[in-house]
Amino acid sequence: MTSTPPPKSKHPFSFYLLPFILPILIITIWQLASNLNWLQASILPSPLVIAQTLLDLLKSAELLKNLSISLLRVLEGFAIGAGLGLVIGFIMGLSPSMERVLSLITGLLRPIPTIAWIPALILWMGIGESSKITVIAVGSFWPVLLSAIQGVRSTDPKYLEVARILEKDRTILLTKVIIPSALPSIFTGLRVGMGIAWASVVGAELIAASSGIGFMIMYAREVSQPDVMLVGVAAIGLTGLLIDFLLLQIQRRLLKWNSAWAGES
Amino acid sequence: MTTPMTLQIKKLDKHYSLSQGDLAVLKDVNLTVQPGEFISVVGTSGCGKSTLLRLIGGLEPVSEGQIYFGDTPIQKPGLDRGMVFQESRLFPWFTVEENISFGCRKDLVEIEKQQVVQSHIKLVGLSGFEKSYPHQLSGGMQQRTSIARALVSRPQMLLLDEPFGALDALTRIQMQQEILNIWQKEKITVILVTHDIDEAVFLGDRVLVMSNRPGTFKKSLPVLLTRPRDRNSGAFSTIRKKIYGEFFSKKKTGSRL
Repeated sequence: MTSTPPPKSKHPFSFYLLPFILPILIITIWQLASNLNWLQASILPSPLVIAQTLLDLLKSAELLKNLSISLLRVLEGFAIGAGLGLVIGFIMGLSPSMERVLSLITGLLRPIPTIAWIPALILWMGIGESSKITVIAVGSFWPVLLSAIQGVRSTDPKYLEVARILEKDRTILLTKVIIPSALPSIFTGLRVGMGIAWASVVGAELIAASSGIGFMIMYAREVSQPDVMLVGVAAIGLTGLLIDFLLLQIQRRLLKWNSAWAGES
Repeated sequence: MTTPMTLQIKKLDKHYSLSQGDLAVLKDVNLTVQPGEFISVVGTSGCGKSTLLRLIGGLEPVSEGQIYFGDTPIQKPGLDRGMVFQESRLFPWFTVEENISFGCRKDLVEIEKQQVVQSHIKLVGLSGFEKSYPHQLSGGMQQRTSIARALVSRPQMLLLDEPFGALDALTRIQMQQEILNIWQKEKITVILVTHDIDEAVFLGDRVLVMSNRPGTFKKSLPVLLTRPRDRNSGAFSTIRKKIYGEFFSKKKTGSRL
């Protein structure tokens, strides 16, 4: 009880309003500037025009179609990348000798920006789905790997000692002690990884694709439809926010024991 | 229950190798603990008393000498020796119930597990808090959970490493009373390490005084008072004074002032 922050069970209404003030202000100024013809419509259309385009694109289902194509790629790539990151991260975290074996190769590969792989992957796999999914997998792999290693390592030795005293076997040690204690760190890695996965899919689609939200943006630029372009950009931001929100909810539910999370609003 | 086992420590040495040479922590420690005995070990911090407990617990190897529990030398930790530390070491992701259940022997089936966990929750007075997480509990309740976790596997011996050191004075006194009740109910051997002389005298059948590094027992004082003991009785004070004398001789106290 002593370690929990002062209770703030009920926030005032303004607390929920606060995040919206700045975006609304910016959009209002933007709209005013457009009305006053300070902004050239062919470069930066007004928010109202963009909103109209958004409605049209929603009606024609074009936006949702492209968005869901990209989302599917992200989920596939993320599942592969994060899955591998978790497995290899646990191996490296649990075994110092495996960490040693893999340290040089991971050290060399990690600093390479995900985008830099795209040309090579297209060369090896063509411009089909597999190259895009691989880009996403590579992008989401690293943060998950690092957070898993970090999470496993940071298991309190005192907890490991308790497990030894109580004669627990390796399976119990892993599932009941190491994994739960690594979870907060892993979740941070998953959220960062998902962010990168989402950024990577757009990057891959901008370079070579015939569908997806990145393709929609690129195509709109080629046919001079800045409103469609911006709807696409906004959709990326919103979807990213939504995914992160979902992950945060899962994390809260799963880590409700973690008083640090319980204390957070 | 298995036959009661005697703990025997013979000519025990423990030293750590450091870069600037060996550090002797324990030197020539000898001790025999009868089954069901309650032993208090007092010493200043850093005298090696916690290390002794860790050696009995099998968490660290001895350097010289032997520790026998029954007929077998202690080589690793085991469920026959429960341990409680100053920090509760509860898993924050488990509830009270789950934490205690973690201490169970693995050959128990689920229904036996539930029964034994329930009875220990009752034993340490935590009924109603089964589903609470450690961070929702007070320090005293956390230690109760930790004691229950150490007891569910029915160990023959309970090793207590300053278990009440982090609690406030009133809670500490209450917990001391309860550990006595548990000891009497479970008929278990207890070795308590503490720097609280009052606590040592209140609880122990014997109080062992440990010298400073390298630690060794320089005095063993039987406490022949009937329980429950009155901390304010003359006999209690006499024993307390004797132990104080072991740490603060007249001369030393004078030089401190």
